[in-house]
Amino acid sequence: MGTQLGFYIDQSRCSGCKACVMACKDKNNLEGSRMYRHVTEFCGGSFAPSGNGYTQNVFAYWLSMSCNHCENPACVKNCPTGAMQKRSEDGVVYVDTELCAGCKYCLWNCPYGAPQYNEKEGKMSKCDFCIDLIAEGGDPACVAACPYDAIEYGPIDELREKYGKLADIKGLPSSTITKPDVIIKPHQGAQK
Amino acid sequence: MHEWPLLLFTVCLSTCVGGFVFLGLTHKKLAEEADSFKVMKLPLIIFVALSMIGLIASFFHLGTPAHAFYLIRGFGRSWMSNEIVFSGLFILLVCVTAGLALFQKKTNLVLIATTSIVGLIAVYCMASIYTVTRINGWHSLNTYLVFYGTVFTLGPVLCASVIGLTYKDVVKKIIKMAFVLSVVGIAIQVLGTIIFSVTSFDIQLINGTSAVEILGSYNSMIIARWVLELAGLALLGVVAMDSMKKVNYSMIYLVLAAIIVGEAMNRYVFYILGS
Repeated sequence: MGTQLGFYIDQSRCSGCKACVMACKDKNNLEGSRMYRHVTEFCGGSFAPSGNGYTQNVFAYWLSMSCNHCENPACVKNCPTGAMQKRSEDGVVYVDTELCAGCKYCLWNCPYGAPQYNEKEGKMSKCDFCIDLIAEGGDPACVAACPYDAIEYGPIDELREKYGKLADIKGLPSSTITKPDVIIKPHQGAQK
Repeated sequence: MHEWPLLLFTVCLSTCVGGFVFLGLTHKKLAEEADSFKVMKLPLIIFVALSMIGLIASFFHLGTPAHAFYLIRGFGRSWMSNEIVFSGLFILLVCVTAGLALFQKKTNLVLIATTSIVGLIAVYCMASIYTVTRINGWHSLNTYLVFYGTVFTLGPVLCASVIGLTYKDVVKKIIKMAFVLSVVGIAIQVLGTIIFSVTSFDIQLINGTSAVEILGSYNSMIIARWVLELAGLALLGVVAMDSMKKVNYSMIYLVLAAIIVGEAMNRYVFYILGS
């Protein structure tokens, strides 16, 4: 295998602005609810009377997530046509639309909601790490768009040396299922 | 719930498999009482029709049906490919068995048995498709028991009902077998429900919802389904009793209707979890 690419998400800096989502939708021409990167809000807590006033434990934070181009992608393993493939040169998981029959089985297999059904084409689609932009010396659309520099990308081994290995936070399924190539710096309160 | 094509496909195929198992088990008794070909002719034709309905329905699940034949490329790796290969083989064998019987005017027990075995393997693959996914509630022995439950309930009841249309005397001898298999079919589904209810399923989807939470909105349907199927089973038992000198045929079709509706409801609730 070549050099596995991965994302580093600094959740502690994320404001939930969704610039990454819109940049991705724009670059990939995604219509309607189709999103290769999505931002999820986590919020809760409440106010409680305390003496003459109130105390509160209200919180809100966001998580930007796309395909994690996993080490053991369940979408690739279980795809009946072999359309879902993992590139050997950089570990990017992509859909070969010449083979895809649009059975949507990958949708049921991905823990991260990465595969997206393209109604118009009748086939699946997903984040492909903007490999075309990277080949031209550019960055993935989401990385370039983030105003907080909260998304970084690169060889996952280098990112892990720099930022650690955490890929399990509240709201995410266990990283042991598909071994996602993502590292997250959790927001306060998001640690498991 | 958008998975109507899959609901139709899985219920039709499971019913056909159960029907063939039933024909295999009752073949000797049917041959003793009458010309087994004449008795089995209509059920075999019905199973060909049912498998075709299931097959056509499965194409409606695909976004690009023109790429349908690529679905077998993952054989050995993907449970969906495995299921398509074995289901395809089963449907082919159903057609060959029925076609040969119609041509030779006699049934072939070896073919019926082989078709049944391939069908049972296809059902295992069918259930495995769902157990390996991230959908909460599907990764359970219950999923296998739900699918095999349909095989042993709907298949025999449909088969006995069809035979009863033209061979009332013969059906008296086989109604007990239909009842025994239906008891097995219902019993394994009860077991499956118990296993499901005591299992704690990990959430394996980002922002996933638990199966228990989803099913909370379908309590009435779940209860209605069990009432219908248990009532149907009880009625079948009454019909199968030795003391019944003459089988009341309207009761058999009532049983069939109750089981069809019950099984359809159960499969609907199953697919709700994945929608």
